[in-house]
Amino acid sequence: MKQTGVIFFPAFDWAISPTHPEREERLLYTRDQIFEEGIMDLPQIAELKPRMAEPKDIARVHFCVPNVEAQATDAHLVAAGSALRIADAVMQKEVVNGFAIVRPPGHHAKTVAHGNRGFCNINNEAIMVEYLRKNYGLRKIAIVDTDVHHGDGTQDIFFNDPDTLFISFHQDGRTLYPGTGFIEEAGGPLAAGTTINIPLPPETTDVGIHYVLDHLVMPMLEEFQPDLVINSAGQDNHYSDPLANMNFSAQGYARLNTKLNPDIAVLEGGYSVETALPYVNMGILMAMADIDYSNLREPDYHQQHFKESEKNLTYIQRLVEKQLELFRGRQALIKRNREKHRDVFTESERIFYDTDYIDERQNKRLTMCAECSGLRTIDSTAHHQNGMVNRVFCISIPMHACPGCLDAGKEAYASMCKMGQMYEYIYLQNKFNDEYRSFHVKTETEKVL
Amino acid sequence: MLIGIDVGGTFTDGVLFDGKKVLQMVKVPTDHQNIKDTILSVLDEVREGNESEDLERIVLSTTVVTNLLATDSIEKPGLVLIPGPGLPFSSYEFFPHIYFIHGAIDFRGREIEKLRKEELAELVTQIKSQSIKKIAVVGKFSNRNPIHEQTVRKFLLEQIPGLEICVGAECASRLNFRRRLVTSYYSVMTQGKWQDFTSEIKQALSLRKISCKVDILKADGGTLPLDISGSQPCETIFSGPAASTMGAVALTRKKTNAVVIDIGGTTSDISLLIDGDPLYASKGANINGHYTHTRAFAVRSVALGGDSPVMMHDGKADLGIQRIEQAACFGGGQPCVTDVFNYLYDLNIGNAASSRQSLQQLANQHNMDIDNLSKRIENIVFDRLQEAIEQMFAEWENEPAYKVWEVVNGRKFGLDEIIGIGAGAGPIVPILAKRLDVQAFIPPYGAVANALGACVSRPTLSVLLRADTESGYVSTDHEGSMKKINNPRAFQLADAKSLAEDSLRELAAQRGVASYASEAEFFLEEQFNMIRGWSSAGKIIEVGLQVTPGLIESFEGVKE
Repeated sequence: MKQTGVIFFPAFDWAISPTHPEREERLLYTRDQIFEEGIMDLPQIAELKPRMAEPKDIARVHFCVPNVEAQATDAHLVAAGSALRIADAVMQKEVVNGFAIVRPPGHHAKTVAHGNRGFCNINNEAIMVEYLRKNYGLRKIAIVDTDVHHGDGTQDIFFNDPDTLFISFHQDGRTLYPGTGFIEEAGGPLAAGTTINIPLPPETTDVGIHYVLDHLVMPMLEEFQPDLVINSAGQDNHYSDPLANMNFSAQGYARLNTKLNPDIAVLEGGYSVETALPYVNMGILMAMADIDYSNLREPDYHQQHFKESEKNLTYIQRLVEKQLELFRGRQALIKRNREKHRDVFTESERIFYDTDYIDERQNKRLTMCAECSGLRTIDSTAHHQNGMVNRVFCISIPMHACPGCLDAGKEAYASMCKMGQMYEYIYLQNKFNDEYRSFHVKTETEKVL
Repeated sequence: MLIGIDVGGTFTDGVLFDGKKVLQMVKVPTDHQNIKDTILSVLDEVREGNESEDLERIVLSTTVVTNLLATDSIEKPGLVLIPGPGLPFSSYEFFPHIYFIHGAIDFRGREIEKLRKEELAELVTQIKSQSIKKIAVVGKFSNRNPIHEQTVRKFLLEQIPGLEICVGAECASRLNFRRRLVTSYYSVMTQGKWQDFTSEIKQALSLRKISCKVDILKADGGTLPLDISGSQPCETIFSGPAASTMGAVALTRKKTNAVVIDIGGTTSDISLLIDGDPLYASKGANINGHYTHTRAFAVRSVALGGDSPVMMHDGKADLGIQRIEQAACFGGGQPCVTDVFNYLYDLNIGNAASSRQSLQQLANQHNMDIDNLSKRIENIVFDRLQEAIEQMFAEWENEPAYKVWEVVNGRKFGLDEIIGIGAGAGPIVPILAKRLDVQAFIPPYGAVANALGACVSRPTLSVLLRADTESGYVSTDHEGSMKKINNPRAFQLADAKSLAEDSLRELAAQRGVASYASEAEFFLEEQFNMIRGWSSAGKIIEVGLQVTPGLIESFEGVKE
């Protein structure tokens, strides 16, 4: 029998702080609901055991400052490792698809990790994507971020990767954390059009979200032809979520997963612990296992209360049209970018870590390579609340680097190790050779993963 | 004096044990049509010559309920389900006569949908028209609030006097509606016949002027007084493997990580001891393909035993599944597994020459070399046992974990020894152990370890207590009702633990085993702060207290 793999890892012994939304209680009622339903006993469900991710799996994605151990506690390693376990089970055909109902979440964790932002330290989906590429040779992967908050971490990690189609629909950043995810954020110069943001007005309902799905997400997936589809499955679009203002239902989430038919879903946010999570998690699980979910509903759900306004729908229709055009014109856009930016593209960014109160500034540089997605460097300075300042220099060689970018990356690392006295650490993320180096400038000690 | 009787698929074993030595061992063929008579004849035989001795306790491990569940002869009860929202109703339709009614309770025990009066009236009409005499009423989350089940029961009993009813919350109080409905269904189905059986046994004992304690061995390796077992027939299933495992525990008496193999005529039952304690099946006993809430040891059965016949299959030597007769060395006409080991290792069992002759004859018939043939069979035996053992290790190691420390610390089964019991263990287990590079232990009296295990097993008891200080209620599984907490804001984990201890003491007293209450240990201590907004609204506390399977206090081992 075709089975859907599930890892349920509620981390009942881990919290950011006792009253934080990301606390022990978060998946308690989900546990009650799925265990009482006995869904794990069904022949179409295989409950798998979580495992821990290796530091190298993390280094393949993040520049953790000062090191992986500092950013990824055991709980983070288990959440990321659970995603990897599901990925293995899917790739080895142990199961046909899988859902990692795990915490802590990860989609706000960006390439450089100085601390926790948006409840996230390391990015579970991104770690899984690079693991899949490294271990199973996959290349084109689509991530659909269905969390109500913009998946800014995942966007940042794959911003310059034309092989990852990152689609995020979320409550408009002008009205909600993290305040990004606008349509102008559409990918780096060599990966334009493979980051697609869909900022939705508050109070969007099942109707609006399914309009986006039917008329934008599904057509893009059809055209992109990914090897694998991932649902970054936040559940805070739900009408009862305390931190956001959308009107999505458990049925809406379930139907979304039926349409999307993701190979892998990974739980992200969602903080309506009693009124949403038990039902939404059930809905996603039932949809993925192809179990009839017509009898699933929240106790207080009344369809008539949730009508999409004409105004919202018109806005959404226009947005969908615009973004589809952007996606379809991506090759031309990249061509124009090459002409415009010539050899090197530079930009700076300021990043705020809301959980840990860190103010980070980045100066980024991308080689406008004609052969590959280009060598990247990030000069990052983090100001911590206690006055501590960390400045690090990060070099990233893409997995499918051309010989020129590979050599340039290695040379840059060697010379920065000699001359980079203003930095605390120099990092080399060499995805081409799957080798991750960090160099502590003061003590001249190097670590290799 | 203690008497243990284990009714098995082929034989029923009995022992008379004086606390130190086994005084009598009896083995008679099981008459499945009349288990009561089989038990009584074993009882009479083990007492022969010692009738005047004072009996302290008799423990029975029987297959009465197992047999009832395996046959189709028993009347099918009705099942009233109150599932509420969630999985489709179609996923519960594995029994005939199911009636779905509206109504729902949520995970915190709140009523989220009311019962409908008109549906209950309609239910009565249907039950009457289908002449249903027994019925189970089971609701989703009835363990968190049994009000709907109780209301339906009251209504049905008023309208249909004499209807036999089981309700879910009283049969199974842990989470899992599917297992609860299966357990309740099988309970109401078998409890009448089980009660008939227990009263027949009581009658027969009083005729023999036996007035000692009589206990039933449960699937979890613990005992339950026969008198109060009436409402819990499902607890008695799979007690055979539990008896064998407890026998191994009694005969070993070590804190060891071990595989227990009970090798009988045609089946081998494998169970695990972890640090001396038997491992439970993580999903409960499986009856007719359905998981239940009945706690049972994790046991894997392999269709292979000392009497498994050596046969030719597609020109290759293989093992038959059905027993034909006993091994050649014991006078049978066909070579069996025992003969193979007898020949290969010069074990001198029975008539060793017959083992050789029967194998030689088979080899000649098929132009094979007797050594190759025997080695091949030996490998089949070991491969099947080893595969089953490794699967059990892997299952245990891969059981889901819900806490960080559980994943960080991982699980690896470090095997110390293999304990071989049952008649067929002697020839096979030492060589299997050598292959796995561990010690073998073949205890004396291993052939009646099951009956011995039954008579020295202690009662098991458990209490699960849940407090929801935000709603202000506390409930325990064996009381079933929800009680108001006096001062919910001040209620702490320690209060929950002390209430659970009181509850367990009460339960132990009810069962006449008060002295065991002090043996109880907490197996579950969960405490969740409920935060609403950004401040604390209460706590959800769950504690579980149990007396684990073990041996009676007076037991100090068996002298040879």
